[in-house]
Amino acid sequence: MGAPYRRRHARRRQAEAAMLAPVNWVEERSGLVGGIRYFLFRNVPSDISWAQTLGSAALTAFIVQAVTGVILAMYYKPDPDKAYESIQFITNELTWGWLVRGMHRWGASVFIILLFLHMGRVFLFGAYKYPRELNWLIGVGLLALGMLEGFTGYLLPWDQTSYWATVVGINIQASGPFVGPFLANVLRGGAEIGSETLARFYAIHMLLIPGGLIGLIGLHLYLVMRLGVTSPPWSRKAAGRKRDPEAETRRQGLVEPRSRRGWRSGR
Amino acid sequence: MSSLKERRAEFARYKQDVKERGKPFYPHAMFHDTIMALVVVAVIIGLTCIWYFTTSEEPGDAGLLGPRYAEKADPGTISFVPRPDWYFYFLFYLLRIFKWPESVILGTVGIPTILVLLLIALPFVDRRMERRLSRRPIAVIAAALVVASMAVLTWKGATAKENVASEALAEVPQWIEKNKLPAEAEPGAELFAGSGCLNCHVYLGGGAQALGAPDLTDAGAKNRGVEWQIEHLKCPACVNPGSPMPGFAALGDDQLRELAIFLEASKGPGGG
Repeated sequence: MGAPYRRRHARRRQAEAAMLAPVNWVEERSGLVGGIRYFLFRNVPSDISWAQTLGSAALTAFIVQAVTGVILAMYYKPDPDKAYESIQFITNELTWGWLVRGMHRWGASVFIILLFLHMGRVFLFGAYKYPRELNWLIGVGLLALGMLEGFTGYLLPWDQTSYWATVVGINIQASGPFVGPFLANVLRGGAEIGSETLARFYAIHMLLIPGGLIGLIGLHLYLVMRLGVTSPPWSRKAAGRKRDPEAETRRQGLVEPRSRRGWRSGR
Repeated sequence: MSSLKERRAEFARYKQDVKERGKPFYPHAMFHDTIMALVVVAVIIGLTCIWYFTTSEEPGDAGLLGPRYAEKADPGTISFVPRPDWYFYFLFYLLRIFKWPESVILGTVGIPTILVLLLIALPFVDRRMERRLSRRPIAVIAAALVVASMAVLTWKGATAKENVASEALAEVPQWIEKNKLPAEAEPGAELFAGSGCLNCHVYLGGGAQALGAPDLTDAGAKNRGVEWQIEHLKCPACVNPGSPMPGFAALGDDQLRELAIFLEASKGPGGG
């Protein structure tokens, strides 16, 4: 009876150790596992709600954009003679191509909407206040980069709508003071919108801005972890108001049962 | 404004509260986040399906949510509507409010810059630690105003009337009569009406004023000459620094001259 059990037990311990070995190897050399554990098991305020999921929802939309964008890049041809045809091919002929392009197209709108909703939530919750000012600024940067992604991606299908919207968009850029005309020339890559422009927009759209976005998102999340999630402004705990200790005690006695700690300390 | 000392104490109390009475991110918050992520992906796929299955391969077939693509880009045409993606509509429509040339730069560069600066300044201007909405009337009113104006501008931009070439062509005889256009201006007038000019410009009350484009009813009132008009059509920003109007050199010299004659002959109602 005892021997087979012990054998099984020993085998299971061996299996566990074998499975954990790579984890421990990584942890010993990087501390990453501890970081992930901290991320998962850190405390957040107990009264956070659906409103606080908008940030991670925006992150989800960004991941959708990244994945579908990589797939689109495999079939899209950033050349004025081929771009439109490659978009038609992706949409009409490529297996599941319509889904990938459609998700990228609509994911962009959903991403922008979620950025605005998330920003609105942070504003209404006063979550930009001390000590989270820097994270608000990073968020403003993310919003600006997100809208630039929209602007540069709009040209890529190379149809009439995207072409002329970009012509006017760049002309508006050129009307800016000081660096306006210079920036417009850099974007255009010449006097006219053509193959140079398309190549530049493509590079900016899929390398430059996404790189910036990923960096800023990393910083943004790091600060969220370091500073913690804000509780709702109506939260009774940590709501960000000056407290009158006596009123606090009165209210506790009236509307919520005294905490056990309170009983023990004889309050 | 709360002193830094107060705000630090408040944050220390928050940290303490969360440590003592908070709940772990996993599984509590993670559960909400996961559901929300699934909803986001489902909405994106749903929009994609509605978009794809209500359109055909035909360029411009709008379906419920817009076409798969418009016609291929053609720098040689001028009958287009410069229309950005929807989240730029509020800026796009804003440009109808400002008039070329005095204040259009305010709409193109000024307002967006001001908006970004306001966002950057926000946490440094509002340094109270109060977060309850009932105690932040200015913030609430400001937020409501911003949301309302962006919604109205986006809606106006989305429903802005587009110019229909056939309707504009029917107006040409009236233009000739009201503006006392000479006979040689007629081909240019038809070109002007049938192309996209009225998608941004106004002529005798017709058309859409977009992107700060001026009213062209009296485009020739300054007597700048046909040659100037041609140069301007070829490269607006060269003659008029800062003009967002695209160049139309691709039209070819004959059509440009026709257009220029028409514009130069337009001296406003009653003729020149």
